[in-house]
Amino acid sequence: MIAVGFDVGAQSVKVIVLNNGKVLSRAKTFSGFDHVQALQDAIEEALKLANITQADVTIFTATGSSMEASPYNASTVSMMSAIAKAGTYFFSKARTIIDVGAEEARAVKCDDRGVMVDFVVNERCAAGAGAFVEAMARALEVKMEDMGVLSLEAERASSINAACVIFGESDVVSLIHKQEPKCEIARAVYDAMADRVSSMVHRIGVNSDVVLVGGVAKDVGFVSSLKRKLGVDVLIAEFPEFAGALGAALIGLTKCKVNKV
Amino acid sequence: MKDKKVEPKKIMSETTQKEIDELKNIIKAASEQVIAQTIERLKKAYPNRPKEMEYFDEIANLFGKRAKELGQAKAEGKKIVGYNCIFAPIELILAAGAIPVRINSGWYDTSKLGDRVVPVEVCSIVRSTIGAKMIELSPFIEQSDVLINVLTCDGMTKLGEILGDYKEVWGLSNPRIKDSAQALKFWSEEIKQIKANLEKLTGNKITAKTLKPIILKTQKASRAFRRLQSLRKGNAVISGRDAMLVNQTYMWDDIDRWIEKTDALCDELERRVQNKEWICPPDTPRIMVTGTPMFWPDNWKLPRLVEEGNPPGILVADELCSSERILYDPVGIDEWTMDDMLNAIGERYLLACTCPCFTSKDGGNKDRINWLLTKAKDNHVQGVIYYITKGCMLYEMEYTRVKRALDKANIPVYYLDTDYTREDAGQLKTRVEAFIEMLNAQIDII
Repeated sequence: MIAVGFDVGAQSVKVIVLNNGKVLSRAKTFSGFDHVQALQDAIEEALKLANITQADVTIFTATGSSMEASPYNASTVSMMSAIAKAGTYFFSKARTIIDVGAEEARAVKCDDRGVMVDFVVNERCAAGAGAFVEAMARALEVKMEDMGVLSLEAERASSINAACVIFGESDVVSLIHKQEPKCEIARAVYDAMADRVSSMVHRIGVNSDVVLVGGVAKDVGFVSSLKRKLGVDVLIAEFPEFAGALGAALIGLTKCKVNKV
Repeated sequence: MKDKKVEPKKIMSETTQKEIDELKNIIKAASEQVIAQTIERLKKAYPNRPKEMEYFDEIANLFGKRAKELGQAKAEGKKIVGYNCIFAPIELILAAGAIPVRINSGWYDTSKLGDRVVPVEVCSIVRSTIGAKMIELSPFIEQSDVLINVLTCDGMTKLGEILGDYKEVWGLSNPRIKDSAQALKFWSEEIKQIKANLEKLTGNKITAKTLKPIILKTQKASRAFRRLQSLRKGNAVISGRDAMLVNQTYMWDDIDRWIEKTDALCDELERRVQNKEWICPPDTPRIMVTGTPMFWPDNWKLPRLVEEGNPPGILVADELCSSERILYDPVGIDEWTMDDMLNAIGERYLLACTCPCFTSKDGGNKDRINWLLTKAKDNHVQGVIYYITKGCMLYEMEYTRVKRALDKANIPVYYLDTDYTREDAGQLKTRVEAFIEMLNAQIDII
């Protein structure tokens, strides 16, 4: 049975194609102004990679912030349910799944059966999400993808306030004026972000295993700060930015099976 | 007080009457539209919506029938007493021959106007009420001869001062520790002061003879109110939004008529129970909401998201001072003497209330937590949404204790914070739907 899951996110659209729980292919495009077009492109690409056509697909399941806008007669599922499913798919002992995307951070608590029992979402501000790193990299005149490695060079961190992206940026500018080393500022950025994410996660409790998904999970700088702040090991899923799409596809698959029985 | 124009020391002095009128017309038109749309939505969402709701739909128009009635009563010389909190002793207002109306406002547009006077960190209810006064939008505030301002939280305390620029305001201070020896004594004195003020305002003496029939009347209202709430304990025959609307209209409607119509609604609902005519499938997740009060018409975002979500839930109970807390507890009288009646009124407003402004001597507002647990059990609640408008610090902070208690009882709870904004509905929708999905997943496994 072929199930397609897609996650229409703030910055990019992610698509995953599953065949009975095995990943066949995945594709990602930038959302841009036209979500629907971006989604169609991504699905086309993923289907092509999997060497199948739309007619082979049994179920489409959508998640993400603009999931309503999707065609394909897809059923929808919230990002929280999706990442809970994906997290426990990757690591069966996952109890806390943290998702840090471009503009949102969220965390889900699962019980021993892998069922979501609590969740928490960041409060309408991008300071605990990927957009924060992006803005700070801009202020530091460092490429976004170099930020993580740069931060690891630092022995200590400067101090900035992550209450708000805009104020954070002005904090960074004043640190630059004080001629603090770039690597320490970069580490401060990740520490501030990890601080916010970790206080959010503490509201539902930090229970091992802790899994990190979302695009930011690929950023070594953030992962290292988050491990330090949480004081536990953080497991990183394979292709973490596809967790939402994967979870959606898995939930679609389960739905089909339940309905068949 | 007697028609003496208050000096123009207004909080919004830079605004001309022309701008006030313009804003008022625009916002009033928008609000009427919101009210009509919300009711249309309910009709569409529930094709088998109870017929008796029609009356409440009419009363729900804040600029309609009831506003006109108040105008007429005022023209006939009746006094109108506005209040900002359900601690205001309705029985005394009625016994003095005056008409009580609650003045907290639920308009989003006016909360933005309130930003011109107080910081955005102040809770939406306070900002919206200030904004409504700034442009003379609320028929209830405008027609009030006097406002009873209860000092429950910091926002309400200072709201009274701001409204004091326009209206005569009577502060009513409640003690914070219910179970202290002095609390009831202090509160009784406050209530007596309000009684004296009311007598002076209306020229009518409140006597045992005038007070008794009023207490009997509000007891009757309480019975009708409880009847409606108990009908929500089984499979749902009424949506949470409709029940909340009925509860809320009590705050401005004529009480005798409200009792009659609520009883008629309950008759209809009882028939539906007999015919097993449910408003939604019986396996719809049953949700209780508690937290910051929700005021008609704009502040109905959350109930709509719950009941029209994908998947949908059904609100089967609430613990809000804008709904189920209003009338749940009747005044309990032992002997119909003046002293006993006054004491009973005092006790009813103070001891029975589960507002988070209270704490007890040993710490912790246990009354509220116990009440939440009882309600959750009685109404077969499967999940609780803890609703907060930003700046509502008492509710924000009490969450920790409430969550601990609900966790212990194995009832999932979700903390949802917002303000009157309409723009965040998309984000809130994701959260509410995730919560309901979570409840469904747990139900499936059980």
